[in-house]
Amino acid sequence: MTATRSDARHVARATDFTEWRQRARQLLQAGIQPADITWQDGDALHDDLFATPAADSAALPPADRGARLTLSRDQLALLEQSARYRDDACHDRWSLLYRIVWRLARGDTAASHPADSDGSELHRRAHAVRREAHHMHAFLRFHREAPKGNVASGDEASGDETSRDIVLRDSEFLAWFEPAHDVLDLGAEHFADRLGSSRFLIATPRGGVAWNGHEFDYRMPCPVAWAEAARTAMTGDDDHALWRAYFVSTFNPARLNSRVMTQHMPQRFWRQLSEGDLIPTLEAGARHGGQRLAQVASVGQRDGKPISLRNNYVSHTLSAKGNK
Amino acid sequence: MELIDKLSILADAAKYDASCASSGAPTRSSRGKAGLGASSGMGICHSFTPDGRCVSLLKVLLTNFCLFDCQYCINRRSSSIPRARFTPEEVVRLTLSFYRRNTISGLFLSSGIIRSSDYTMEQLIQVARQLRETHQFRGYIHLKAIPEADPALIEEAGRYADRLSANIELPTLTSLKTLAPEKELGTIHSAMGQMRQRIDAANDDAQRDAKHLPRSANPKRLAPRYAPGGQSTQMIVGADATDDRTILQSAQHLYQRFRLKRVYYSAFSPIPESPSGLPPAAPPLLREHRLYQADFLIRGYGFQAEELLNRPGNLDLEVDPKLAWALDHREHFPVDLNRAEPAMIARVPGIGLRSVQRLIDLRRQRRIRYQDLIALRCRMASLRPFVTTQDYRPAEIQWESSRLRRQLTAPQPAQMALL
Repeated sequence: MTATRSDARHVARATDFTEWRQRARQLLQAGIQPADITWQDGDALHDDLFATPAADSAALPPADRGARLTLSRDQLALLEQSARYRDDACHDRWSLLYRIVWRLARGDTAASHPADSDGSELHRRAHAVRREAHHMHAFLRFHREAPKGNVASGDEASGDETSRDIVLRDSEFLAWFEPAHDVLDLGAEHFADRLGSSRFLIATPRGGVAWNGHEFDYRMPCPVAWAEAARTAMTGDDDHALWRAYFVSTFNPARLNSRVMTQHMPQRFWRQLSEGDLIPTLEAGARHGGQRLAQVASVGQRDGKPISLRNNYVSHTLSAKGNK
Repeated sequence: MELIDKLSILADAAKYDASCASSGAPTRSSRGKAGLGASSGMGICHSFTPDGRCVSLLKVLLTNFCLFDCQYCINRRSSSIPRARFTPEEVVRLTLSFYRRNTISGLFLSSGIIRSSDYTMEQLIQVARQLRETHQFRGYIHLKAIPEADPALIEEAGRYADRLSANIELPTLTSLKTLAPEKELGTIHSAMGQMRQRIDAANDDAQRDAKHLPRSANPKRLAPRYAPGGQSTQMIVGADATDDRTILQSAQHLYQRFRLKRVYYSAFSPIPESPSGLPPAAPPLLREHRLYQADFLIRGYGFQAEELLNRPGNLDLEVDPKLAWALDHREHFPVDLNRAEPAMIARVPGIGLRSVQRLIDLRRQRRIRYQDLIALRCRMASLRPFVTTQDYRPAEIQWESSRLRRQLTAPQPAQMALL
């Protein structure tokens, strides 16, 4: 077996999953072992000194000795999800995936099982990605844009006609979000379902997306004007005051349990939440005496009185009930 | 009164209801349509307050004026709290505004009983109708069903709501008599029975639809659905002397008889001017947590309430109900993971339902080894004495349960932490 193996190292480059899938299919058919491939990740530029230049299909050995692999839809989805995983410490997303499909193609069905060493990493990443998409659905906050005249960059940029961004001008709701993995499109699809015909724009440190009620406009990287506008909008939406009031009232100081809160809502999201700065205050208040009662202090301080049954608001219920 | 003041009062008044689920709704989308809102069947927790509870819905009362005098309730008529009342339009405005900002996935609306049960129910329905019909809102709606209201009204509520709930609050007749004199167990049960019938009928319709004809061609698909997210209820824990065994048995009964989706347990919270009939202190939150764990075992793992608590009393606070059961039934252990039935593997402490499925998948391919359990991130400390694998047998087989229990509880105080 090893004698027939080509000695040359191969370099394969992929920027996204579709591209990787294509390259992987060729390499698999050509029977190139995982150990013989250096995968390059899109823009990342760390070269392998001993590699032959980027493999195009012509340079590959004939396809006959390789394997064909058919994946189920679930398996494919799992691979796709794990490829969205981002971590500064790991640049091996393509090589992990290739190693797994290589093993699967050879009948090693445990390769994608969570108890396998490769499989568990695959599942761990896919799980982290799903969780981050869910975080985005949950913790992203839209803000209605402040009245047009107030847009900070508007005046400065006015001389520069192209930068008067039409997309930006039309967006009703703006959001700034910092996802840990590549889940922007998963979030955008979700919000298009929710908001229907309302136009929105989401800016992140990497990409941005706008929805005009019919279609998406993805930008990579995210235009500076979008990011600025989204961050400015975070301070100018009055209805978030109502939300903050709700957040305070729905909290039960008698059941303080910060550990569970932080477990479900990691601190890195707090600064993007309009209620985020309330959390430490509420916690401190509850620890210092507020924990006695479930009622929120501000409500307890208001005047109130018991209802007498002859009060205006109440008339004949009890007798009506007695009839039943 | 300003809207924000009403909101402060009526959210404070509503938070004693533990339910905040936004799950179980059919898939809806507003893409390419007028209106707004979507649901996917999976709930979303949009925030967490420092009490560790999730905020998924705008949970408010329409009003906290109430004719009833339930002793455990902050809104009872004899309580001197500030009172407020929303107009239906105000609730609609808040719901839409919060929804657009992505702080909620829908509305959970309840109310104090004003004027009459029918009148109150009509007010709740009016809000839901405005949301669904005037604003074409496709988000989640959970309505409180007022058991004393006319059945025709509860019928109508189910056509707008994804979920209905009637709270049982206290599981025994006597507690209900002393603490909530205006409530009647019989009335609550008959309302639940009515809702179950309608929900079942609507589900049957939906199933028949799915079997016949392509869905798009089937006019029945347009037939009104009825509370597709099912019904739930809540019991208060610690406001009276009822023990966990009674609570769990009553929950089990409710699941069987009315096919409830969920029973929520709400540890009694101290309220201002607490009436003399109530305990001065709240029960430990851990008790509530143990009840949820036991409830979960009943719903998902095939346990019976009587197995988890075979004598009157409360659940063990020191160990979780699954571990407690295993310690009491050493004769079933250790479980051979390479041979046991899935249902028995699910009874091993430290192995959850997802791991059960993964182990079954894995053992079709090869024998299960100890290392696999670590890779699957099972709770090793709990399961170690209770399983055998191809390469592992527990050393503790001969140990008395009491010794095993000491060993399992002593070295890991971290596991005892709340929730």
